[in-house]
Amino acid sequence: MTHDVVEASGITKRYGTTIALDDVSLSVRRGSVYGLVGPNGAGKTTLLGILAGLRRPTKGEFTVDARRVAVLPDAPQFDPWMKAREVVDLSFNLALPGGDSAAVDLVLARTGLLDVAHRRVGGFSRGMLQRLGLAAAVVGDPELLLLDEPAAALDPAGRREVLDMVNDLRGDSTVIFSSHILDDVEAVCDEIGILSKGQIIYEGTLDDLVRGSSHLPSYRVVVRGSGDSLVTVLGSCDWVTDVIADGRSVIVTAATSAVIEQELVPCLAACDAAIVSVAPVERSLEDVFLEVTQ
Amino acid sequence: MSFWRLELLRLFRTHRIWILLGVFVSFGALGPLTARFLPEIVAAVGGGVEIAVPPASPELAMAGYLGNALQIGILAIAFVAAAALAFDSKPEMAVFLRTRASVPQILTPRYVVNMLASIFSFVVGTAIAYIGSVMLIGTPLLGGTLIATLLLSVYLVFVVALTGLAASLVRSIPGAALITVGTLIVIGVVGLIPQAEAWLPSSLVGSFDALIAGGEFDYWGPLVVTVVLSLGSIGASIALIERRET
Repeated sequence: MTHDVVEASGITKRYGTTIALDDVSLSVRRGSVYGLVGPNGAGKTTLLGILAGLRRPTKGEFTVDARRVAVLPDAPQFDPWMKAREVVDLSFNLALPGGDSAAVDLVLARTGLLDVAHRRVGGFSRGMLQRLGLAAAVVGDPELLLLDEPAAALDPAGRREVLDMVNDLRGDSTVIFSSHILDDVEAVCDEIGILSKGQIIYEGTLDDLVRGSSHLPSYRVVVRGSGDSLVTVLGSCDWVTDVIADGRSVIVTAATSAVIEQELVPCLAACDAAIVSVAPVERSLEDVFLEVTQ
Repeated sequence: MSFWRLELLRLFRTHRIWILLGVFVSFGALGPLTARFLPEIVAAVGGGVEIAVPPASPELAMAGYLGNALQIGILAIAFVAAAALAFDSKPEMAVFLRTRASVPQILTPRYVVNMLASIFSFVVGTAIAYIGSVMLIGTPLLGGTLIATLLLSVYLVFVVALTGLAASLVRSIPGAALITVGTLIVIGVVGLIPQAEAWLPSSLVGSFDALIAGGEFDYWGPLVVTVVLSLGSIGASIALIERRET
């Protein structure tokens, strides 16, 4: 058994003249939660479809080292005349024939569907269908779970439940989690791959992404009164690459974290500004995402 | 829940079994009634004009049943089978099935259940036509009726298999049903060529009248061709759907 559940190399997918995926390579560690992040139309669903065996790559190779693979499409649908329990039960029996069917009720309860398990799914809302899709996906104890925008149609409570379920699966299953909701990705993913225009433009941990972005380190200095005089002082320092006043705040930027950590405090001590606080400017995943995808 | 139970539920919960039964049972009842009371019906609507009608006979009753029942019945069978066999018509539904089972696993129960439902409906309709004929007109030839029913059942298997093949060529349910009906019409037209007629599945439809009238069994050729075409259609549909992306 290899360390990586998914290994893909040079995957290209063309639809006529349109290139949906362009030389995509990625690897997903067993037991991890991998976030596939990208704007709409980046190729996330196509890539998941290829990994699930539902589509064939035009070029490239991939291996999936998992016997039970479950997929949750972004808008799951089922025969409207089926009852919720029947959907989950069918999924369970196909994945684990002869298994203990108590798992069906457990999963229905976990996804908040036990009370409506006897109802036909034709009357379900999109959010309920998404929960049902998730229940049908996880009930078979998948080794690899491919989730395409699993929380997109859910209310905040439902979203939290889905993220909790994904967190619980960590270690037992490998999860590839496609989303453009960066808060969700940040909450559950160990590693991410950023897809943009069919290409993986980043693959690694979130920390490395934020730390390794091209953004220069900045500190926000809050002063009592106007920050104009501090701007003048800092602007004359040769280690400062940029300094701007933002009301009572001054944002100072340097070439490296080491320089700013070493030079900023002595510089502030030398001027007569009344300092209220000094703190690094934290960058959100969203900032970095926008930076790398644009 | 298994794929077999799923297909039975599909037939009953979508009321498709009642559509199939409704068509064959209603024509099964109407065939003998129409044959028995045709002179009275014609006299009532003839407006004084004298129209010669053949005397009521068991053969006429059964032929009347089959002629009407097959026209509407095949259309119903094609749509009912297409609704089950065109499982790729909604990709989100197809994802659920395709990631959990192979195409033969998915299709086999769909083929078998729809074939059996079609045959069952046809046999019930034929039985009603037979009983109605016995009660109102006279007893049709039992042996001929049984053999003809068997041959027509093989033909209905072919109709379902052809629908499966059509569903592997197009994703739409109406599209698959209409391709099936169109192909059957083309086969019927080709069957007008005497050299071809003896080999085509459409000959099995024509066998009904002849066998009930006591004709000789001379249908091995079309029977074998129909079985081979049915198996070929099923095999081709599985191969095509396996290659199709979702």
